[in-house]
Amino acid sequence: MGIDIIFKIVGIGILTAVSNQVLKYSGKDEIATLVTLAGVVVVLLMVINMISELFETVKDLFSLY
Amino acid sequence: MEVVKIVGIGIILSIVLVLIKQIKPELATVVLVAGSVIMLTIILKYFANVMSVFDVIINKTGINKDLFAIVLKIVGVGYLIEFGANVCVDSGNNAIADKVLLGGKLIILILAMPIITSLLDVVIGLIP
Repeated sequence: MGIDIIFKIVGIGILTAVSNQVLKYSGKDEIATLVTLAGVVVVLLMVINMISELFETVKDLFSLY
Repeated sequence: MEVVKIVGIGIILSIVLVLIKQIKPELATVVLVAGSVIMLTIILKYFANVMSVFDVIINKTGINKDLFAIVLKIVGVGYLIEFGANVCVDSGNNAIADKVLLGGKLIILILAMPIITSLLDVVIGLIP
């Protein structure tokens, strides 16, 4: 749960941006959109796992439910 | 030492946010959420030992245990509502943040009902 997750997300963002450009110039626009979609989905899944972890810890700490 | 960690992560996060806004604007909010989750988990650790001190005080003074549990719940709800509302404000949609805040206030009001009723009983008991 360190900062490395943020850098991972930024890395994925840069990767998708670069691959977008490459695919666009090579004429494969549909794959470019798919790559962007895949990148966003992967990042979202990672963040959603983190959020559920946070909610678990808060729930245990404050005995919320 | 811990302060340095929190401040460092905050600064790194804001720099990365500015950077990611140019490269891929859609990921800005996601990076914001991820960063604030990381900072919250670090801050939660401090809250844990504050809580143990509270328990000791409660046992000593003999205050009603479940009233304190309600107060704890309210703090937890406030904590999460603050997190959600700030993420919404930062990503630009203030209307959603207000909805989240309103929901949080209502939940806290509902949680606080038992305290209000027990307070009323005490007051009524005082009147001769």
